[in-house]
Amino acid sequence: MWKKLKKTPSYLTENVREDLIRLVDLVKIYDTGSIKVMGLQRINLTIRRGEFVAIMGQSGSGKSTLMNILGCLDRPTMGHYYLDGIDTAALESNELSAVRNKKIGFVFQSFNLISRTSALKNVELPMTYAHKSKREREKRAMELLKRVGLGSRYEHMPNELSGGQRQRVAIARALANEPPLILADEPTGNLDTASSVEIMELFSQLHRDGATVVVVTHEEDIAAFTERIIRFRDGRIVSDKKNQPRNLTAQEAAKMQREGITC
Amino acid sequence: MLFENMTMAFHAIRANKMRSFLTMLGIIIGIGSVIAIVSIGDTMRTLVSDVYKTVGVTRANLYVWPQDGSDMRTSDYFTLDEMERIKEVFPEEIAYADSSAYVSADVQNGRRKVKFSFQGIDFNYPSVQTVNILYGRNLTEADIRGRKKNVVLEEDGAKALFGVENAVGKTFRMTVYGQTDEYNVVGVYRPERSALEKLVMGMSQSQTQYGLIPYTILTWPNDIFYQVSIYAKDSQSMETLKNSLPQYVAKTKQRNPEDVILYSASDEMSQMDAMMSGLSGAVGGIAAISLLVGGIGIMNIMLVSVTERTREIGIRKALGARTRDVMIQFLTESAILSAFGGILGVAMGSGIVFLGGSLAGLSVVVRPSVVVLAVGFSAMVGLFFGIYPASKAAKADPIEALRYE
Repeated sequence: MWKKLKKTPSYLTENVREDLIRLVDLVKIYDTGSIKVMGLQRINLTIRRGEFVAIMGQSGSGKSTLMNILGCLDRPTMGHYYLDGIDTAALESNELSAVRNKKIGFVFQSFNLISRTSALKNVELPMTYAHKSKREREKRAMELLKRVGLGSRYEHMPNELSGGQRQRVAIARALANEPPLILADEPTGNLDTASSVEIMELFSQLHRDGATVVVVTHEEDIAAFTERIIRFRDGRIVSDKKNQPRNLTAQEAAKMQREGITC
Repeated sequence: MLFENMTMAFHAIRANKMRSFLTMLGIIIGIGSVIAIVSIGDTMRTLVSDVYKTVGVTRANLYVWPQDGSDMRTSDYFTLDEMERIKEVFPEEIAYADSSAYVSADVQNGRRKVKFSFQGIDFNYPSVQTVNILYGRNLTEADIRGRKKNVVLEEDGAKALFGVENAVGKTFRMTVYGQTDEYNVVGVYRPERSALEKLVMGMSQSQTQYGLIPYTILTWPNDIFYQVSIYAKDSQSMETLKNSLPQYVAKTKQRNPEDVILYSASDEMSQMDAMMSGLSGAVGGIAAISLLVGGIGIMNIMLVSVTERTREIGIRKALGARTRDVMIQFLTESAILSAFGGILGVAMGSGIVFLGGSLAGLSVVVRPSVVVLAVGFSAMVGLFFGIYPASKAAKADPIEALRYE
């Protein structure tokens, strides 16, 4: 049905370095043995540097599949995924690890901090795998924790922190190696409304500071914070629209000021 | 990175103290028993070689032992003349020879009765063995040739029999071969005993005292004896004797050369050594099995740990850990777990050995090389049995691992 081209046509790769993400004819098929399930059907998508994008869709729409591929946790069956100019479809697993380490900052729904390990150590982790020196790691981790308003809680274990605080540690961790892409998978899914607003405002701030942020979500309220909303259904893009981001209410802003988050 | 891995490993081990300890138990017992066994073996070996240092590697016993199992003939026994003849034939090699005779008897001084064991010696015995004379003199050639009833007592024996150390000039009664006679004490000496002899004497709690007596008294009345105790001048002349003495004796006694045995102290020692190393080999094998079991225990727990920490592995991989990083992390953990068990095992094993040693009054030997080897080996066991769990962890698919609850 799809014939893989031996040589990528030049129109696909031209100016590829200027875009942070370019998906070209991306297809993902899940082969369960007896049946083959189409995860993604010929996706073509470009996300430029500095964008704040929400990827929306019901469960089963293919947004998680896309999230895994964007995060280099999974490889497309066919097509190309250029991240920061690198064709990740051609990389083997250790090279993908290096890409994840240097190019992507993950924020997960369930925080995914390493238990019984201090906030500081958790933030240091990506830098450990980047072979940075201990002093450099600690300095940067402290800076990042201060930036997300947890400077005084660097010694706390994840189970001693609230959900919102845990997610902020996770965001600090995502920023550790200064990756060009922040990839958040349902970052507010386990949080109450107030914490959700906090987290989304933190992302907005990162975006204003120049980071590219991609948020995968199914909540309209969350997507409302972003500047571009891409909707998925049945493994296809059904809409791709610009969005006027909502602003914080005065009440929310005051609360965040109190908690010392620098927004 | 290695340091990071070690910190992480310590962290993980500390997080599950009880489980880590139980996991290590196999290794602790294995290494502990290896250390104990090897150290006991080493201690015994030093004790034995100490004995042979005092006895001398130049000592040997000469006797006739028909290899075909036939009966002994009267001519197979040695006479005093034959012994003199042997000394004359090998003057360059033989330093000393006697009839290798001992006598145990109750010795009486008035109403005091003490059990004694006398060794029959020639006058030049002090030239091959240390005899520290404290009082009086040694046995002289005149004592030997004239079969004089003169003896030299050990200081403890003198004290036991006469109540004083300086027993020179005192007399006692003793029955040798059914003949009761009066014997004179001409000297008192202090023996040189090895640690093993002391240990054996301490264990047997025997009240036997020791002394030296002219060997000619012990060969009396018919002057024939079964074996000749020989001291060679040095180890080289011992080699010469081994080659030519049995031939010579065989010729004089019309025996085959292989029927005449010259059994040296070094033969005895190597036999002891072979027995000892055979023993430690066998026990070492058992210890190796317990190490194997310990290793399997570590593998088991590491597998549980990997399954439990699937999510952590997923997080690490998502954050950029390569297959190798995860592999090394878990290998480090199992190696440290196991090496730590090894260290505890060494502490336990040497603790037991030192405790036993101090109870027995012995200075025990725990070779540092054995300790290093044991800890190193336990780390190797940990590494080896960590490979499977670690590779299982390293191969985990990050998406699956992140989804794991």
